[in-house]
Amino acid sequence: MLTWLIALPVIGAAIVALVPGRLKELHLPLGVALAVLPLALAGYVFWVFEPIAEYQFVQEAVWYEPWGISWSLGIDGVSMPMVLLTAILVPIALAASTSITRRTKEFVVYTLLLEAGMIGVFLALDLFLFFVFFEAILIPMYFIIGIWGSDRRIYAAMKFFIFTAFGSALLLAGIIALAVTYADQFGSASFALSDLMNVQLSTSAERWLFVAFALAFAIKVPLFPVHTWLPDAHTEAPTAGSVLLAAVLLKLGTYGLLRFNLSLFPEASVDAAWIMGTLAVIGIIYGAVVAIVQPDLKRLIAYSSVSHLGFIVLGTFALTSGSLQGAVIQNVNHGLVTGALFLLVGMIYERRHTKQISEFGGLQKVMPVFAGFFLFMIFASIGLPGLNGFVGEFLILVGSYSTLPALAIVAAIGVVLAAIYMLWAYERVFTGVPDKEENIALSDLSIREISLLAPLAILVLVIGLYPNVLLDKIAPSTEALLDHIEEQTEFVIPEPGRLGDVLVAGGDHE
Amino acid sequence: MIEITTPEVSWIAILPELVLALGAVGVLLVEVQWKPATRVLGAISAITLVIAIFFTFLQWAQAGDALEVGGLDELVAFSGMIVMDGFAVFGRFVLLVMAGLGLLAGWRLVERLNRRGAEAIALVLLATTGFSIMVASNNLVMMFLGLEIGSISLYILAGLTEEKTKADEAAMKYFLLGSFASAIFIYGVALLYAGTGQLEILAIRQFFTEFIVTRPAVILIGLALIIVGLGFKVSAAPFHSWAPDVYQGAPSGVVGYMAAMAKIAGFLAMARILLTAVPQLDDSWLPVIAGISALSMLVGSTIALVQSDVRRLLAYSGVAHAGFILTGIVGGATTGMLFYVTVYAIQLIGAFAVVAVVSGPSSSGSSIDEYRGLARRSPALGAAFAVLLLGMAGLPLTSGFVAKFGVFSEAWANGYGWLVIVALLASVISFAFYLRVIVAMYMDETEEEGIVVSLAARWVLTIAVAGTVLAGILPAPLIDLAADAFSL
Repeated sequence: MLTWLIALPVIGAAIVALVPGRLKELHLPLGVALAVLPLALAGYVFWVFEPIAEYQFVQEAVWYEPWGISWSLGIDGVSMPMVLLTAILVPIALAASTSITRRTKEFVVYTLLLEAGMIGVFLALDLFLFFVFFEAILIPMYFIIGIWGSDRRIYAAMKFFIFTAFGSALLLAGIIALAVTYADQFGSASFALSDLMNVQLSTSAERWLFVAFALAFAIKVPLFPVHTWLPDAHTEAPTAGSVLLAAVLLKLGTYGLLRFNLSLFPEASVDAAWIMGTLAVIGIIYGAVVAIVQPDLKRLIAYSSVSHLGFIVLGTFALTSGSLQGAVIQNVNHGLVTGALFLLVGMIYERRHTKQISEFGGLQKVMPVFAGFFLFMIFASIGLPGLNGFVGEFLILVGSYSTLPALAIVAAIGVVLAAIYMLWAYERVFTGVPDKEENIALSDLSIREISLLAPLAILVLVIGLYPNVLLDKIAPSTEALLDHIEEQTEFVIPEPGRLGDVLVAGGDHE
Repeated sequence: MIEITTPEVSWIAILPELVLALGAVGVLLVEVQWKPATRVLGAISAITLVIAIFFTFLQWAQAGDALEVGGLDELVAFSGMIVMDGFAVFGRFVLLVMAGLGLLAGWRLVERLNRRGAEAIALVLLATTGFSIMVASNNLVMMFLGLEIGSISLYILAGLTEEKTKADEAAMKYFLLGSFASAIFIYGVALLYAGTGQLEILAIRQFFTEFIVTRPAVILIGLALIIVGLGFKVSAAPFHSWAPDVYQGAPSGVVGYMAAMAKIAGFLAMARILLTAVPQLDDSWLPVIAGISALSMLVGSTIALVQSDVRRLLAYSGVAHAGFILTGIVGGATTGMLFYVTVYAIQLIGAFAVVAVVSGPSSSGSSIDEYRGLARRSPALGAAFAVLLLGMAGLPLTSGFVAKFGVFSEAWANGYGWLVIVALLASVISFAFYLRVIVAMYMDETEEEGIVVSLAARWVLTIAVAGTVLAGILPAPLIDLAADAFSL
């Protein structure tokens, strides 16, 4: 079944590619329709997903025996929300791309291939397979930024590609080293995550490998100071590109840290927790401060991503029940909210052909629905209680406090800063009197646009009010991960940090 | 009555070469006698190649049998001149397939040359004969003969166009530097002979297992000269300076073939000498090969960054690839290297087939500007080139990734982790220049017309792209073959 999650978008891409080029109007609707199929399947997986720690729906087929590589897929509480998020956002991002009139067919094909790659990354349980997907994603994204981006698209695409490829190179070196060590110790080759977790590493080897993996994922996240590709890529990418980049591609980094660094190198993870946490907190503050002064809406949201993803990394390395669950759920939250914000910016860009904050003002009066959605998403982003951002950030901050108290306190400043840059941006764009002539004539959102944003808004609200819809399914997996870390190291997670405590997940856990 | 006993000759060991040489002669004779349409000559060469390939299958079976029942001595033929081990047969097979692809890719050039087309075909067959002997030789002098037969054919091919100028310059350069390198190689062979008293590769290995050489200076100098000579043939840095000029100047129809053949034969010969003849000396040569490898990767990929001519770019990328392939030899195994050489040769021929289509089969030089908007003008051609370039860059799901993964793993397992890290960094640098071509094809607009792709070129590109993708997704059969093809 999981194979179909990857195969459906690929088949969809093939179908779209076969539609003759002169049926131009057909490509985009067909792409959206085909992207709904994986969504339906992902929804079904979510429905029958059981809240247990083990991988579910595991599929395994030997790819090449002597090298020990296999097509092995599985899903657990950490990857399931990400798969669902990807499947939800791709059709929405595609449907929002009506402004792409040039080479539509290619655009749809690349987006569907991108979806296959992203889902593949989250499902892969074999490191070789993981790397294949991880790297394969670069190509469609590179084309999406480079062909349909704005003025400096080629520069941005190149920067994106080279930065991530550099990270991938280190990751590949790490994977090779790990697999060679495994072959030395066990006499047979394997790239399976479950096998490689048994490798006995010397402290220094483990630390080097941790660095190789962590750097690769940190570039993807992006963690300070390797974040510089992100604002360029986000700003230049077309709307759908920005949405998928922010909502899913960045999560490959946080997902990788959680999935691979913590489980493969528990000792080094514990040792490096404060370093990663510090970098994350620097990212939180730095991203927020830089976001305040951005004159461009897209750049502002891009820097807000740097800040928000810092929270996720902090939560990951704080190593408590709350912080890990918070990190996983915040992955989803950030995807939904930032995805929606980029969609909104894209909609206003289509009308005004500018993203400069100073060009706007008083839009509330002319586009009340648009302003409403924007404000809603801003509130979710800055973590207003009752919306999803609150759940994630709260869990992360409270969870981190028991292991990394100083960092948690500093990180909390980031929440305040987020309120500043978001609300200030809102004020400049939406409040006041519309004084520019171009702004007065703007039309409000169409039914189509509202129908794209509404599902995201509903999800934001659902997760905000009843987070256990996800947390129940996430918790067993993150708990198992913490057990694994405690087993492998001398690290003991401080008492209030483990599950069963009042702090966790809204309180109605037995 | 005097009985004349003829020594028993196991002809099968050289049947592919015999067929090739006969085919080459046949093409020339038929041309002189009947002056037929080029198509007829093409048919003759195709039949020649098919028969030769058929014989490699027979050889493969025989080599496999010999391994099983243990008659390894039977694989050494012609008083120790030729071996028929899996390594040689695999190399031959790849060379023959590349010759077929090369002829197809250069077919437009052959047609344009009119009556001189026969020469081109015959030279391709002869070059294949030479390199084929080279990979199958067990004797260093035999290896030199093969090298020269192949190289001299290539020198002429490099200058074979209807108009003169640039191609002549390229041919002259290639000839001068190439024969210089051959001379260095044979000098190295002489010193190795002086030091060990042996010319046969298996005998040299025997020599080192029986004797401990206390003063190996002469042998080491000989070995160094051999490495330099072969390093030139495969355009490894710092012996690469001829490659960009020759790739740029020679007619585009044959460049891919020239480059692929010289690389396959050069690397196989190098692997045979280093890994079969002198594995005992690896303390001495491993660091040297690792150094050449690292230098090639870094020099190749950084200089390629600033090239504005696609052929020079491919030449420098070839320098980088030489470095990548050498990491396989540093890994001390031939499997990854054989796989890499094979898939890279296919990509190279495919890439130059695109160059030949875009800039014309006898052109010299092809600026990157000619590729602007190619994906719009000729979507299939652009997509094919993109796949081949991504394959060379080593993106997953292409053969290039599996190849790199294979050689890097071998090198890492052999204790050369630093080399793997250098290699991975060089791969990242190399992304930048492959992407530049893709940027030009996909992200720049142009008003120019589409390009008509000839049927032969379509075949080459289909095979090259299919091979690149298939070997990337299902590499198992080819890796297994390469793993079986070890040297005696």
